[in-house]
Amino acid sequence: MREKETTLYFGPQHPGITGNMMVKLKVAGDTIVKAETHVGYLHRAFEKLMERRTWMQSFPIVCRICVPEPDPNEENLARAVEEIEGREVPERAKYIRVMVLELSRLAAYFLWMGGQSGTAGLYTVPQWSVGDRDYILDLFEELTGGRIYHMYIWAGGVRRDLPEGFADKVLKTMDYIESRLPEYDKLMFDNAIFQKRAQGIGVIDKDKALEWGVVGPPLRGCGIKHDVRKDEPYEVYDKLDFVVPTYEGGDIWARAMVRRKEMEQSISIIRQVIEKMPGGEYYNKVPTPLNWFVPPGEAYVKTESARGEFGYYVVSDGSLKPRRVHVRGPAYVHGVSLLENILVGANISDVAMIMNSLGVCPPEIER
Amino acid sequence: MYEYLNNIVGNEVITYFVVAALPLFLVVLPFALIAVLAERKVSAHMQDRLGPMRVGYHGILQTVADILKLIQKEDIIIPQADKKLFNLAPFLVFIGSYAVFAALPFSSKFIGTNAEVGIFYILAVSGFVVAGILMGGWASDNKYSLLGAMRSAAQIVSYEIPTAIVVLTLVMITGTLNLGTMSEQQTAYFWNWNILGGAGEGIQQILLIPFMVVAFTILFISTLAEVNRTPFDIPEAESELVAGFHTEYSGMKFAMFFLAEYANMFAVSAIIVSLLFGGYQSPFGYLGNTLGIPALIPFEQLFWFLSKGVFFVFVQMWLRWTLPRLRVDQLMTVCWKYLIPYAVFNLLIVGIITLI
Repeated sequence: MREKETTLYFGPQHPGITGNMMVKLKVAGDTIVKAETHVGYLHRAFEKLMERRTWMQSFPIVCRICVPEPDPNEENLARAVEEIEGREVPERAKYIRVMVLELSRLAAYFLWMGGQSGTAGLYTVPQWSVGDRDYILDLFEELTGGRIYHMYIWAGGVRRDLPEGFADKVLKTMDYIESRLPEYDKLMFDNAIFQKRAQGIGVIDKDKALEWGVVGPPLRGCGIKHDVRKDEPYEVYDKLDFVVPTYEGGDIWARAMVRRKEMEQSISIIRQVIEKMPGGEYYNKVPTPLNWFVPPGEAYVKTESARGEFGYYVVSDGSLKPRRVHVRGPAYVHGVSLLENILVGANISDVAMIMNSLGVCPPEIER
Repeated sequence: MYEYLNNIVGNEVITYFVVAALPLFLVVLPFALIAVLAERKVSAHMQDRLGPMRVGYHGILQTVADILKLIQKEDIIIPQADKKLFNLAPFLVFIGSYAVFAALPFSSKFIGTNAEVGIFYILAVSGFVVAGILMGGWASDNKYSLLGAMRSAAQIVSYEIPTAIVVLTLVMITGTLNLGTMSEQQTAYFWNWNILGGAGEGIQQILLIPFMVVAFTILFISTLAEVNRTPFDIPEAESELVAGFHTEYSGMKFAMFFLAEYANMFAVSAIIVSLLFGGYQSPFGYLGNTLGIPALIPFEQLFWFLSKGVFFVFVQMWLRWTLPRLRVDQLMTVCWKYLIPYAVFNLLIVGIITLI
């Protein structure tokens, strides 16, 4: 007998959803027959806005494209402009950029960890992880003045040099975070119920993954070793020693473990950066923003963000303002087409977990 | 207790009302007040937080403030709702969990009704809760409520089976359905508790211990599922069903559900305590006996009963903040593929041991 189908509107005001989007589910009993994503609750037209702003004015708005992890956006725009201009970046600035990027990756993973276990019904990890993330935000506050939106990386380097004694504080925070990770293991990753909930659910087909355009931890969770930091190293990643963890299976569990292992790698990268960081200039000064003409040209740059490969296509026509900035974020692929594909056949209970494990980020889907 | 009160009051009808109201005012309401705060404090300290700190010393009056707020709130009934059922549901749920208290042996002198079929009665009246939840979920005219209600009904009905089988196991050992008598049999010291083989003799008692531990595990898991606590809080799973069957409820009606949940938590803990952990009996003998004041004993018994019950409530809270929830199908698997077969097997072995 065929069960009667019902339509269930999952979101946008649903506690299980990661931000402002909606998934329209056709369910038969508890099983999803068809999923349809509805986005558009958070469209802010950043790409268009940037065409009306000077190059310098674009930096404070790109970081708002992704709330949990704003720095890859600034990094992308900065590198694109530098590539068009041919502007040199001081060595010290490159190291500082890597440190900021890795710190923000850690912060984003802490937030993800809270969301992932919160959607599984374990409400202690969110409290812990948001608390631990706060120590990283404290570092950002001291370094940049902002806790969430830093506006720190810009064309030609970074906005400020490291404050006095900042390196020691970073190392201390890293020691603390490293000591906390085993506790998260005990509570979440080694938890038999969490493993039962996560294993074999939300499976991405390994053969289809590349075709669908899956990137980042979801792709590495399929056993495909793809990481922009290794494949096409930017900044100083080629001088640093780290591995790209991969897991087989393509399920929520594999993605969770990839992220868990990457947290350790990030901590090690930050330590190496602080050890190897040279002195000298941190900023290759650009002209007055009102008189900063970027030569005509175009550039496509990409960064490995916490959710995957993050690309920016920037076109300049030689004027004060960008001609076109196109953002190619991982969340669009993960949160719209991939989500619609892998939700079919899943249980209603798993929708929130699957969404979270893919790193769906509605502000980035819509920009 | 009834005779005692009847002597004071002098009117049978009034005495009935007084007896019926006593558990409410002595146990249920104060317990709910304390338990809500305790849960917030327990969860806070497990999560590196402080919890409520503003109202009173360390927030001890927080629940009182919350109740005042809930009383003032507008009672929203959405126009599409089935009004009669919508209004009736919270009361049915509360009746179901409150009626259980009638048969709980708080102390040798304080049992609401010392019915011969005590535990059987408890299993029966707790069925009201399912009816209430289904009613609330249906009348809300909300898909999430309905889903929550259906899940809840399936869950509670399924888990009543292992509970009933384990209860049967204990009835077989003790030979009585009366919770008061059952507690009476596990006299004085903790080695007479049913979890340690009961008041049996010699080899039989030792043989029973492992099977009693199995019985306790099954009973604890299934009662946890019956009161919808994590890891079995599937009917109200926040990230899946918003708030399950009580999504559309507000104000005092929501408070009724809330009160029923906490009353239920204590009720199932009390059932576990009376069945397996000596009921109201003290583990070390009584102070009243040592001092030669027999009047002290019932109060000591009340103290032991409440503290054992509160301990299991604490374990429930502890589990809630350390375990994720199961998925619906896994929940059913646990019940039908593991708990019920083990419970039946346990019943069989215990039956053989009692025959020897």
